[in-house]
Amino acid sequence: MKLRRSLPRPARYSGFGLLRHALGGAPWPPVWRRHDLRDRYDVVVIGGGVHGLATAYYLAANHGVNNVAVLERGYLGGGASGRNTAIIRSNYLTPEGVAFYHRSVRLYESLAADLNFNVMFSQRGHLTLAHTDSALRTMRWRAEVNKLQGVDSSLVGRSEIGSLVPHLDVSDRPRFPILGGLWHPPGGIVRHDAVVWGYARGADAAGVHLHQDTEVVGIDVTGGRVQGVRTNRGRIAAPAVVACTAGWASTVCDLAGVALPITTFPLQAAVTEPVRPFLDTVVVSGTRHVYVSQTDRGELVFGAAVDPFPSYSSRGSLEFTEGVAAHVLELMPALAPVRILRQWAGLCDMTPDFSPVMGPTPVEGFYVDVGWGTYGFKAGPVAGETMASLVATGKTPDLIAPFDLARFTDGRLVGERGAAAVGH
Amino acid sequence: MRLDGQPGEVIHRGTPLTFTWNGRPYPAFAGDTIGSALAAAGERVFSRSLKYHRPRGLLTADGNDPGCLVQVDGEPNVRGAHRRVSAGMAVTAQGVWPSLRFDLKALNRLAGPALSTGFYYKTFIRPRRLWPYYERVLRRFSPGGRVPSPSSPAGRYEHRYAHPDVLVAGGGPAGMAAALAAAEAGARVMLVDDQPALGGHLRWGGPDGLAALAQLRAAVAAAGGIEVLTDSVVTGQYEGGLVAVVQHGLPGLTERLVKARPRQLVAAAGLIERPYVIAGNDLPGVMLSTAVRRLINLYAVRPGARAVVFTANDDGTAAAADLARAGVDVRRVVDARDGGDIVRVRGRGGVRAVECGDGSVVRCDLLVTAVGWTAPTGLLTMTGGRAAYRAGAARFVPTELPDGVLATGGLVGDGTLAELIGHGRAVGQAAARRAGRTAPASPVPDLVPAPHPELFAGRTNGFVDFTEDVSTKDLAAAVAEGYDSIELVKRYTTATMGPTQGKLEAVNTIAVVAAATGRGIPETGTTTARPPYAPVSLGALAGRNYQPVRRSPMHDWHVAHGATPLVAGAWIRPDHYGDPAGEVRAVRQGVGIIDVTPLGKFELRGPHIPDLLELLYVNRWRKLAVGAVRYGVMCTEDGVVFDDGVTGRLGEHRYLLTATSSGAEAVGEWLERWLQTERAHWRVHVVPMTDAYASINVAGPRSRELVRRLTTGIDLSPEAFPYMRVRLGEVAGVPDCVVWRIGFTGELSYELHVPAGNGLRVWEALLATGVDLGVRPFGVEAQRILRLEKGHLVVGQDTDGLTQAYSAGLDWAIKMDKDDFVGKPELAWQRVRDGQVVLVGLQPADPELVPPESSQLVEGDRRIVGRITSSRFSPTLDRSIALGFVAPDLAEPGTVVTMLLPDGRRLPARVMPQLAHVDPEGKRLHG
Ligand SMILES: Cc1cc2nc3c(=O)[nH]c(=O)nc-3n(C[C@H](O)[C@H](O)[C@H](O)COP(=O)(O)OP(=O)(O)OC[C@H]3O[C@@H](n4cnc5c(N)ncnc54)[C@H](O)[C@@H]3O)c2cc1C
Repeated sequence: MKLRRSLPRPARYSGFGLLRHALGGAPWPPVWRRHDLRDRYDVVVIGGGVHGLATAYYLAANHGVNNVAVLERGYLGGGASGRNTAIIRSNYLTPEGVAFYHRSVRLYESLAADLNFNVMFSQRGHLTLAHTDSALRTMRWRAEVNKLQGVDSSLVGRSEIGSLVPHLDVSDRPRFPILGGLWHPPGGIVRHDAVVWGYARGADAAGVHLHQDTEVVGIDVTGGRVQGVRTNRGRIAAPAVVACTAGWASTVCDLAGVALPITTFPLQAAVTEPVRPFLDTVVVSGTRHVYVSQTDRGELVFGAAVDPFPSYSSRGSLEFTEGVAAHVLELMPALAPVRILRQWAGLCDMTPDFSPVMGPTPVEGFYVDVGWGTYGFKAGPVAGETMASLVATGKTPDLIAPFDLARFTDGRLVGERGAAAVGH
Repeated sequence: MRLDGQPGEVIHRGTPLTFTWNGRPYPAFAGDTIGSALAAAGERVFSRSLKYHRPRGLLTADGNDPGCLVQVDGEPNVRGAHRRVSAGMAVTAQGVWPSLRFDLKALNRLAGPALSTGFYYKTFIRPRRLWPYYERVLRRFSPGGRVPSPSSPAGRYEHRYAHPDVLVAGGGPAGMAAALAAAEAGARVMLVDDQPALGGHLRWGGPDGLAALAQLRAAVAAAGGIEVLTDSVVTGQYEGGLVAVVQHGLPGLTERLVKARPRQLVAAAGLIERPYVIAGNDLPGVMLSTAVRRLINLYAVRPGARAVVFTANDDGTAAAADLARAGVDVRRVVDARDGGDIVRVRGRGGVRAVECGDGSVVRCDLLVTAVGWTAPTGLLTMTGGRAAYRAGAARFVPTELPDGVLATGGLVGDGTLAELIGHGRAVGQAAARRAGRTAPASPVPDLVPAPHPELFAGRTNGFVDFTEDVSTKDLAAAVAEGYDSIELVKRYTTATMGPTQGKLEAVNTIAVVAAATGRGIPETGTTTARPPYAPVSLGALAGRNYQPVRRSPMHDWHVAHGATPLVAGAWIRPDHYGDPAGEVRAVRQGVGIIDVTPLGKFELRGPHIPDLLELLYVNRWRKLAVGAVRYGVMCTEDGVVFDDGVTGRLGEHRYLLTATSSGAEAVGEWLERWLQTERAHWRVHVVPMTDAYASINVAGPRSRELVRRLTTGIDLSPEAFPYMRVRLGEVAGVPDCVVWRIGFTGELSYELHVPAGNGLRVWEALLATGVDLGVRPFGVEAQRILRLEKGHLVVGQDTDGLTQAYSAGLDWAIKMDKDDFVGKPELAWQRVRDGQVVLVGLQPADPELVPPESSQLVEGDRRIVGRITSSRFSPTLDRSIALGFVAPDLAEPGTVVTMLLPDGRRLPARVMPQLAHVDPEGKRLHG
C-alpha cells in the first residue's frame, strides 16, 4: 500500500526547519487542533492510543476516508500506549504471528519518514536469555521456525552474549547461570509517545478530528446495526464504529452488547535515573521474569510479566520493583547503585491464546481491534493499516483473518503464549 | 569560605579529612556534604546541564539539589548536596568532556534555539539509514553518571521487616511531637528522617529553634518506644499500608530497605522551597533561602561575598539576617510583599548582577530567593489521597488523606513553633488511638497555610526544570504546538521527569502551563504522583538478593552418597548416584527408591472440591471414592496442556492434589486465581504441602514386599490395595503418612508422603530393610529413562506452550461430556480439526544413536514435519528410544521419518505403534 501523495501536510519537520524556526522565532504550528463535535462522522474510532490513531490515520491516508473522529476520554496516548516499554520485534512462534509482526516491523522502519515525525525506532537488537536446558531447547526450536520464515533470529552462546552485553554475568556464579540466548538483531525499542503524536499529527493533517476529554458512554445499536455513539459531549451518528480501547475493551464492547473473551490484567514497568549508555540491546529473561532496555536518554526501562491476578488497578507495587531489582542484579550485578525513579502500571487486555481480536463483530458496522495484551504496541502500525483497510473496503485483509472474533467459537486459536509471556 | 564556629553546625572540626574532586584533593570536615565541602573550598560549579551544558552550582543545598548530581567512585547520580563526604572518596563531575571547567559540549549552546524542546522529534528523519549514527551522537549527550564496571565489588544491601504502631515520616518539630505523643500513649513508634539528625528546619533556623530542638531531641531520646531512623527516606506508601523506608549510613551496609506495616502513618515531611523562574535563574550563585541558611548554619560556609535577597516571606528576611551575620554584604533586599520584583540574573559562569523590577542593576555574586513553598503531597496522593490548590497560600495542600494516614506540620499548614508542636501532639495522639492505644482525645487544632503571594515565574524566560533544561519558553512552545494538557506537556518537554521527580519543579511547571493556556492552576491540575517517592537503588530493593535453594530432608544423605546434583527450578535434586543405567535395571528387576519431594502437593479441604477439580482438569472427578487416586490433566483456556498429576481422596472433604515439580508454583496460583476471582462462593481451602511432606517413590517388582515390612495398619495385598488407591497409615513408625499406589515408571510402585521431619528416617529405613531385596536409590536421570521407556509424557518437555491435549495423546483423559471445564471449547474444536501434530513413540533405525532433543523431523529440504521432544538410551531394551511430534499423515505406526540432527546429519527413525516402548500392556503395573 502506498501513501497517497496528495495528503495535506503540516509544516514539515526537518533540521533546516528547526533552524529556520529558531532564527525566525516563528512558532511551530500545532500538531493537532481542537474541534467541535460533528453530529455525524463516517467512522468513529473509540480510543486515542496508537491503535485508534493509526487506524484513523490510515483511513485518511490510504483510503481517503477522512470524515473520521477519534474519541479519547483522557489525553492522547494516556492508556497503554503511553505506559508501555515499547519493545518491537517479530520473533514469534506461529506462522500467523510471525507474518503479522514482520509487517509491523517493516512499517516501523519507515514510520518516521512516512509521518515526518522522528519516532526514534532504535533497532539495537533483542536478546532473550536461557537459564535452563528446556528454555534452550525451546529457543533452538523458535530460531529454526523463525529462520524458515525469513526472520533474522539465531541461537547464541555465552561468549557471544558476553560481547553483546558486557554487563551480563555469564559466569557460573548466578543461581541460574545464563546458558545461551536467542538473538534477534532487527528488534529494539521505539519512543512510544512519538509514535502516538506522529500518528495524531498525520491524522489531524489529513482532516481527522481528534477529540480528547471525550468519553463514549453508550453505543447505539438497532436492528443488529451500529447507529452511532453517545459521549459526555453529545451524540454522534456513525455507520462504522471501531473500538480500540485495549484495557477497557470489555466494558466498551459491552456497550454494544458484544461479549469478548478478554480478562484485564495490570502490567507494571519501572524506569531508573539516566546513566551513561552501556546497554545497546533489549535483554529479556523469561526464567528471571524480567526485561530491560536503555533509552536514548539513558534511563533503564524494566518490565516483567503481568500481575498474577486480574484487576483494573494502575498502581505500582513494591513487590514488583523488588522482584525486578533482584532479577536484574542476578543478571547484571554491577547495577546495584542505579536508582529507580518511577514505576507505574497499565492495563492489558489478555485473550486466552495471547493473540489479538481484530475484525467485524456480530453487530454490523461495529469493529474491534483489541486483545492486545502485553504486546500490542509493536503491532500499532500494521493493526491500523489492516483495520483501516477492513473498514474502508469491507474486506478482511489476509494478515488479520486468523485473528477474528469468530475464532473463539470456531476453534481456531492462534497460540502465542510461548513467545509472549514475559518478552512482550 | 569557611566561617567561624556556628551554634548549630554539624561539621566536626576535630576530624578533618581529604577527598578528591575531579582528581584533585580537597579538605573537608566529617559531617560535611560533598557540596558543602566544595563550597567551603570556593568551588561554585558542580555540574553541567543536560542540553546546553550550562554550568550549575548549588541551588537548594539538600538532597533535591539539581545542580549537584555527581559521580562518587562507581556510583552514578549521587546527590552531592546531601551525601556526606568520607576520607578518600573520589568525586567527579558527570557527563562533561573534556572537563567540568572547559566543557566542549557547551558548544550546544550555539545551536541553543534549534535545540528547542522536542527537537529530536523534528529532525534526523531523512535519510533513514543515517538515523543510527545520529542516534549514537544523541546517546553520547545523554545525562547521568556511569554504572560501575562489571567487575567492581558489589555493595551490601539488606531488608528488614518492621511492624510499628505508628510510623512518622519526617523528624521536624511536628513529626517529633507526633512521635512523642504517640509514644506517651504506649504506641511503638518509628520516626524517620532523611537528614543525619532529627530537627527538620529547626536545625538551621536560628538560636531559638536550636534551644527548642535540644529539648525535643532530649525528650525523644528519653521516651521509651521511639525508634529513630535518621539518614533514612520514606520512599513510598503502597497498597495495604505497606511503607518502604531506605536507610543509609549503617555500619557495614550500603543501604537497608525497611518494609514497615505501621497501623498508622503520620506524614510530616515539611515543605520544599521553590525556585523563582526568571532569566539566569540557573547561574551558579542563585540559591534558595533555605540553601544559604543550611550552608551558613549547618556547615559554616559563607555562600558568597555580595548578595541580593528577593523575598516574599519571613524566611527570606531571616536568610538576609543570616547572611549579614556571616559577613556577606547584603546589597539589597527586594521584597515582593512591597511590590518589589527581580527580572533577570546577569552573568556567565556565575551571578554577576541582578536586574530589579525598578530598572536598577545590583552587582553581586549571590542571589537568594524566597518565593514560596511546595507541600510534598506526593506521598499522600500516590495511595489515593487528594490535594487541591490554595491560591491564597500559593500552594497545593492535602484535602483528603488515604486510609491509615494522618498528616501534620508544614505539609498541612503554617504556624509558630508552638502551634506546629501542638498540632503534631494532637495528631500523634490520634494516631496512637487509631493504632489501638489509649490516648487523650484532644481535638486537633487548626493548622492553616499562611497567606503567600503567588510567585512562580517572572517576566523573563528562565529555567523551570533544571535537570531537564526546560524553560518557560519551552513549556509555552509545547502548549502552542498542541501539547496542551499537563500530562502531554510533561511527556513532550520531559519537565518534572528528571532525578528530582518534580519535587522542585512540578508547581512551577503547572503555573507556567496554566499561564500559557490561560486555564488557571486548579484546572490545569497536577500530574499523577507515582512511587517511589524518592529514588531507590536496585541494590536496596533486591536486598541480599537471596536466591532460595530448596532441598529435600534427604538432601544431605544424597550428597553423602555421591549423588550428582541437578538444578531443577528452585530445587537441587540427585540426578544419579553414578550409574543411571544400573539404577534403571534395579527398578525393573528388584526395587528402587527415589526422592520425589519436589513434587507439588496441595491439601484441599471443603465441600466444593469435586467442583473445583471438575472445572480445572479435563477429566472426571465427581465419582472419585474415598481411598481412590486418579491421574488428571489441566489445560489452560486455549486447550494447551498446563500440568498433570495424581490427586487422591483422603476423606469425605479432604484431598491431596499433586502437580509437577516445575509446575507446582503455577498450579498453586491457578487454583487460587479460580477460587478467588471466578468462584469465590466455593468453599475450598488450598494448603500448599510441598515442603510439609517428604515424598519417596518405591518402585519395582519387589516394592510391595519392601513397603509391607515397614507399614502398619495398611493391608498391602493387591485385592485390598489395588492400583490407583490411597491409604493412610504408619510407615517405619512414622504416623500420618499418605501412601498411594501409582506408577510413573511402569513398575509396581508406592508413593509415600511422609511428614517432612521424618523423611530421612523413612528413607534410611527403606534402604536398611530392603538390603536383601537389592534396594537401590535412583535419581532423576533413571526416572526420566524409566518414564520414557514407559511412554509417559513430561509436561513442558514433551509438550510446549502450544500443545493442546489431543495432540499430546491424552484423548482418553478428556471428558467432553462434562458440563464445563477450562479449555473445553477449544478442545471441542481441536477434536474435529485435522492437521494437528501427534505425539508418537519413535525408535531410530540405528539403535546406538540417541538423537539430541529438539532435533527436527524434516521432509525434503526444509519442510519441518515434527521434532524430537525426548530421547534416551534404554538399558532395558538396549537401544535408543524417543518421543516426538509428527504431522498426522506420518503418525501411522511403521512410518519412517527423517531426523535432522543439529550437526546436519539426516537419519531415519520409525514411528512406533504406541508411546510405551516397554510393557505397553501395563502388566507389570497391575501385578
Ligand atoms: C507496562 C506495559 C508494558 C508494555 N510493553 C509493551 C512492549 O514492550 N511492546 C509492545 O508491543 N506492547 C507493550 N505493551 C502493550 C501495549 O502498550 C498495548 O497493547 C498497546 O499500547 C495498546 O494500544 P491501544 O491503542 O490499543 O490502547 P491504549 O493505548 O490503551 O488506548 C486505548 C484508549 O482508549 C481510551 N478509552 C477507553 N475507554 C474509552 C471510552 N469509553 N471512551 C473513549 N475513550 C476510551 C483510553 O483512555 C485509552 O487512551 C505494554 C503494556 C503495558 C501496560
